[in-house]
Amino acid sequence: MSMEDYDYLFKIVLIGNAGVGKTCLVRRFTQGLFPPGQGATIGVDFMIKTVEIRGEKVKLQIWDTAGQERFRSITQSYYRSANALILTYDITCEDSFRCLPEWLREIEQYANNQVVTILVGNKIDLAEKREVLRQKAEDFAESQSMLYLETSAKESDNVEKLFLDLACELIREAKQNKLDNTDSAPMPGEGKAISYLSCCSLN
Amino acid sequence: MAAVDLPSEFDVVILGTGLVESVVAAACSRVGQRVLHLDRRSYYAGNWASFTFNGLQDWIRESQEQRPPEELQDWSSLVKEGEKLMYLPHSDSASISNIEIYCFARFRPITDSSGGDGTGLRLFKPIRVHQEEDHLLLPAETWVDPPLPVCQPINFSSSLGPFLRQLMFSRGSLVDLLIKSNVSRYAEFKNVSRVLTCRERRVQQVCPHMSLSRPTNWTVFLTSGHPYRGRPYLDFLSDQQLGENLQHFLLHSIAMVTENTPTEVGLAATRHFLRCLGRYGNTPFLFPVYGLGEIPQCFCRMSAVFGGVYCLRHSVHCLLLDKDNRCKAVIDSRGQRISCGHFVVEEGHLTLDIKKVSLVTVPPITAGAPAVKMVELCSSTMTCIPGTYLVHLTCQSVGSAYQDLSPVVTRMFKTPQSHDQDAGPSVLWCLYFNMVDGSGVQVQRQDLPSNVYMCSGPDGALGHEHAISQVICILPEEEFCPPAPNPEDIIYDGDSAYSTGEDEQGEELQEGEDLKKEEADNEKTKEVDGPNDREEQKQMVESCDQGEELQ
Ligand SMILES: Cc1cc2nc3c(=O)[nH]c(=O)nc-3n(C[C@H](O)[C@H](O)[C@H](O)COP(=O)(O)OP(=O)(O)OC[C@H]3O[C@@H](n4cnc5c(N)ncnc54)[C@H](O)[C@@H]3O)c2cc1C
Ligand SMILES: Nc1nc2c(ncn2[C@@H]2O[C@H](COP(=O)(O)OP(=O)(O)O)[C@@H](O)[C@H]2O)c(=O)[nH]1
Ligand SMILES: [Mg+2]
Repeated sequence: MSMEDYDYLFKIVLIGNAGVGKTCLVRRFTQGLFPPGQGATIGVDFMIKTVEIRGEKVKLQIWDTAGQERFRSITQSYYRSANALILTYDITCEDSFRCLPEWLREIEQYANNQVVTILVGNKIDLAEKREVLRQKAEDFAESQSMLYLETSAKESDNVEKLFLDLACELIREAKQNKLDNTDSAPMPGEGKAISYLSCCSLN
Repeated sequence: MAAVDLPSEFDVVILGTGLVESVVAAACSRVGQRVLHLDRRSYYAGNWASFTFNGLQDWIRESQEQRPPEELQDWSSLVKEGEKLMYLPHSDSASISNIEIYCFARFRPITDSSGGDGTGLRLFKPIRVHQEEDHLLLPAETWVDPPLPVCQPINFSSSLGPFLRQLMFSRGSLVDLLIKSNVSRYAEFKNVSRVLTCRERRVQQVCPHMSLSRPTNWTVFLTSGHPYRGRPYLDFLSDQQLGENLQHFLLHSIAMVTENTPTEVGLAATRHFLRCLGRYGNTPFLFPVYGLGEIPQCFCRMSAVFGGVYCLRHSVHCLLLDKDNRCKAVIDSRGQRISCGHFVVEEGHLTLDIKKVSLVTVPPITAGAPAVKMVELCSSTMTCIPGTYLVHLTCQSVGSAYQDLSPVVTRMFKTPQSHDQDAGPSVLWCLYFNMVDGSGVQVQRQDLPSNVYMCSGPDGALGHEHAISQVICILPEEEFCPPAPNPEDIIYDGDSAYSTGEDEQGEELQEGEDLKKEEADNEKTKEVDGPNDREEQKQMVESCDQGEELQ
């Protein structure tokens, strides 16, 4: 790992109902684009963006659902080894908020239990159509010990902040883990062929 | 979550998300076909699935439920002129039978489930935690892996597929395909640390470090089988001046065949085993972390990334056939007509009449009788809680799973029925069931429309060659799962994503590279052990290859 061009690598996974703006958030952050063209982006598995935080290079690998959320058919393996989850709803769509408990159940079942989860209310540029009060969402996030942020992929509000905040939190946790696991030498016979976990969380 | 309607036109409709169906889905989407992939269940991978402990409880409940026979609905309004309806039977639960459960530990439900620690088994924490030495069932120091520093997301995950399905040979069509298609980037693997055999109640290690000095000339050994063609492998082995132990190893642990297996089959299996040796780690096997049920899901993800539409809890009720007896469309479980060019279906949806050999899998136990195969998984495989092991036992069934396997269980483990109450690790919980063997399934059958293909479930044979060969039968002319482009090589041109994906060198996230690096590392370690070993191993592989050519 010494030759890599980053200090940390984190896998971030987006979930939430179809149409809430997950893909737009990713494209806005990684490419500065909106709207990112119509239809599904065929063949794009995840996007990469490397950011610098306090002098450390952090490579973010951001995974989108590949449309499997449309019929609630996300593969369990999608959640595995994610360092962070962005659970997104649309503030102009009450229904996308009401589905959050279902998504949380799925997270509980399949994701690593150290995963950092952030709740995101997207489309705040459509303030006049808001259906979910900010306070209500904040309370819900707090009750589930999630971070909370409101964004607009369209106006680029808070999008940068969303990913940078996550990166900071992940670095903080990784450093904490390192302190907690001082005796964790590399494991013998470990055949993990591929690991998107950062060097810090696996060593 | 929203009840959106499915699109009504696809090139390929696939029912069932087992390995074969999932590879077909990935391969078709990859070459631009429009794929609809359905599964009647609420989880992926069908009979290949891996479950959390809670998930397994649900599965048991579902499998035991007698579902009322589904009413045949009248779809005639959806049938166009000249079309014929063909109903698919709802016969899934027939592939699993004879379920029996025994619980030997007291489990304490933790009342506060709202704590949401994200795990299944925590809700059922065993009160009596076993002594470490209880679990050192098998006499080797390497057995207990250190716990993973990252917290286990799932504390128990049990795969349904039988023994050999838990593991993958490190060479062979499946691993090659995973690497070639870049699908492997969705999964993580572990080496299998040891292969053992049990003889006269003693557990012995086959590899690593089994002395190979006796059949010094592998080329001769592997190619001298001609006169024995058609005769049992055991006859051949007994005539080779091998010790009894070595014969036993070669037959049961290396070739993994029975005493009646023909020599050429036994030799081919031996050759395969030897060739897989040393590719990744000390044994010829790889284990997908979280269980083999991950692999079909990885192919499904690949298909989705390339436009495949996924829908669980959704099935197909009938096919619409045209005058030439080709499937033109299907009617799904919501009564929607969906046209398709091809229809691929998991066996069990179509086959009530095929004769099958059953297989038995027993999750938490252990074994030794020659025909019973066992996999013991420790907690760092993410399949069970630290301090416990998950053991799979498989054999070709004669009676029910319980009848066939419980004698082995009581002999190797400590259960209330065991004679020797001091020996062996205690069984906490065990599950017996019979599963249909998919090896007899033919992809295309005379009695099916020509564009309807049937995929088998897990079978008891070695490796996954059968599964992959079925896919190739289904897709004879397409480019088969070309490597998916690396996300970092994708160039975005304005609004439309555009992939180049050719230059993959030096990319640390590439599975192929990663594996290669690992291979190099393995080789390095061997060099440290002694340069001769490495040379020997190479010769061994070469002699295997030659053996094959000569056969
Ligand atoms: C089933 C099987 C599994 C294997 N698994 C592995 C594996 O997991 N990892 C791996 O690295 N290799 C494996 N091998 C390859 C192989 O066994 C190598 O030979 C092994 O690594 C060397 O092991 P050893 O120390 O037991 O030496 P041996 O193979 O026993 O011998 C090493 C050297 O000593 C000589 N020698 C051995 N016994 C005697 C004797 N009695 N008198 C005189 N000379 C002797 C041999 O001719 C040889 O030159 C396996 C082979 C088989 C058949
Ligand atoms: N006004 C507004 N529209 C948005 C925003 N984000 C996404 N959208 C629109 O919402 C629709 C769905 O977005 P998409 O990213 O595909 O959602 P996904 O299904 O969650 O990936 C698209 O029409 C977007 O243009 C936003 O922040 N503001
Ligand atoms: Mg999207």
